[in-house]
Amino acid sequence: MHTDARTLESGSVLEGDLCIVGAGAAGISLALEWIGAKERVLLLEGGGFDYDPKLQDLYRGDIVGLPYFPLQAARLHYFGGTTGHWAGFCSTFDAHDFEVRDWVPHSGWPITRAELDPFYVRAQKVLDLGPNEWLAAAWQRRDPALVPFPLDPRVAWTKMWQFSPPARYGTQYRGAIVGAPNVHLYTHANVCEVEASEGLRAVEGLRVRTFEGKEYRVRARRYVLACSTIQNARLLLASNRRATNGLGNAHDLVGRYFMEHLEMPSGYLATTAVPMPSTRMYAYEFGKTKARGEIALSAGEQKARRILNATVSLEPGSLDQPGESTFQAMPPKAVETMRAGGPGAAPDRAPRPPDARRTFHLLTRQEQAPNPDSRVTLSPERDALGMPRARLDWRLTELDRRSFRSFYEVLGREMGRSGVGRLRMRDWVLESIDSAWPGFLGGGWHHMGTTRMHPDPRRGVVDPDCRVHGLANLYVAGAAVYPTAGCVNPTLTLVALSLRLSDHLKSTRA
Amino acid sequence: MDRRRFLKLAGAGVVAGLATSGCEAGGPSGARSLDRPDLLTALAPERVRAIGARYRRMVAGERDAGSLRSALLGPHTLRSRLPWLSPTVGQRIHDDFERGDTVVVDGWILSVTEARQCALFSLLPA
Repeated sequence: MHTDARTLESGSVLEGDLCIVGAGAAGISLALEWIGAKERVLLLEGGGFDYDPKLQDLYRGDIVGLPYFPLQAARLHYFGGTTGHWAGFCSTFDAHDFEVRDWVPHSGWPITRAELDPFYVRAQKVLDLGPNEWLAAAWQRRDPALVPFPLDPRVAWTKMWQFSPPARYGTQYRGAIVGAPNVHLYTHANVCEVEASEGLRAVEGLRVRTFEGKEYRVRARRYVLACSTIQNARLLLASNRRATNGLGNAHDLVGRYFMEHLEMPSGYLATTAVPMPSTRMYAYEFGKTKARGEIALSAGEQKARRILNATVSLEPGSLDQPGESTFQAMPPKAVETMRAGGPGAAPDRAPRPPDARRTFHLLTRQEQAPNPDSRVTLSPERDALGMPRARLDWRLTELDRRSFRSFYEVLGREMGRSGVGRLRMRDWVLESIDSAWPGFLGGGWHHMGTTRMHPDPRRGVVDPDCRVHGLANLYVAGAAVYPTAGCVNPTLTLVALSLRLSDHLKSTRA
Repeated sequence: MDRRRFLKLAGAGVVAGLATSGCEAGGPSGARSLDRPDLLTALAPERVRAIGARYRRMVAGERDAGSLRSALLGPHTLRSRLPWLSPTVGQRIHDDFERGDTVVVDGWILSVTEARQCALFSLLPA
């Protein structure tokens, strides 16, 4: 079912068993799991079915830390959310991403990769990915032309990626959601406050506003916030009627540990082997490539060097060509105005034939170390619905900087040893770790970590079941719960976690 | 001739012969491989020359052809004079990477051997 919330009478009360706030990758993946269940599910989406600049502006916010692109350009505010313009990059977190690494402060998840594996399998179907194969050898068996570089696995390896078509939830799942008798989608329903009970033990309801000045309430037995990493934190912080610091924030953790993936042009590879090694395994063409490899360092090497996890992709390019960070390659205006399936929905890069050249640009995608000072707070400015805007203070650490250099030193040596080629570090990688970040500092438009998962309420906002500590019926879905960022795009993992949350909610239904 | 004397003479003959024939790296063909780094298969000669020039500026004791050749050939051990025992330049480069005997020149992560080759190459007329 679907109702445009603008048509409701002001003062209405919507009631259900489960209320999901946000209809993006996390919220819709969760809602799909409940189709046909006996529970009545309310799915609240602040936007409509189409892009609307007025609604998109609700995501505008302040940037006060390291330079970051406009927040309204980073997430799409309509049904389907940011899947409306994502590129479909998917890979799994590594097992050691979940472990405590003594050289990475605040690292460690309360769950293991093995616990998440069955949900990865299910998430692959939701995202229209290929088989549950994540080893280079398995893909080489399927296509012998995909030959990984002969790297020593004790040092470096080829990490596989798969590409969703990409799944645009807004079109792909609209019919299923709208047609489900027990799932009621409300569009143009912007939640402005989560109302807690006296004593702050549970959520009693949500306050929803529309641009038309209507206000109404939503009551459910359980609530899931699935409206993106920054907006989840913003909503909790702004829900301060009974809790001065916001809900779930007794230990001043909501909004902290904001993480990005540092996606930076970092080096070049000149292949020296004769004949030239096949690089088809590492080639990518938007909309056509099903799987490709990127180069990562082994867990052992990361531990020995005390560095963060990262992968590097190869893109044919000359040694004299300047590299572009993701932000530069996809300027904010282009990102902001992208429509599902429309022009600009893919990175505007001309396809390059594989094996055509001997030299490659190396683009690194590195996890950001969890940092409590990297955070989302509230701006004094309010949006058109009267809600405080988000303020992002993105900060990086010495470990983030040092890891790049060490990564390339190890990889350069291994590329030489294996005979693949020679690697050149870009100037900024060579500079002292005390140097400022280069002007083309960029991320992957990936937002993670503002309501991190930890069993101890003093160290995490949500528990291992993604329930907000202290609140019996409030949960968070999405990359906001990540304690660490891994080095892969967040969508596959956040969908897997949403399915895991769904199973938990089903197993604990009254 | 007893066996011990035969072996001594045979060994001396081999060494004497080799001392005048030139080893892989030091003989006429070896000289060519020393100043023709394999990097030239991937990088333009100007770039290799620039890398070599940068290396010579970086390492004070390896700025002329003589010092570079000496560094490349290593100490005059028996092994270095026996072509079938002496590693090829390619093997030395591989071994450098294996051991971590690398140097960063203009951002390039190179084996010390090939960096010296680039330096020698940079001394050749363009």
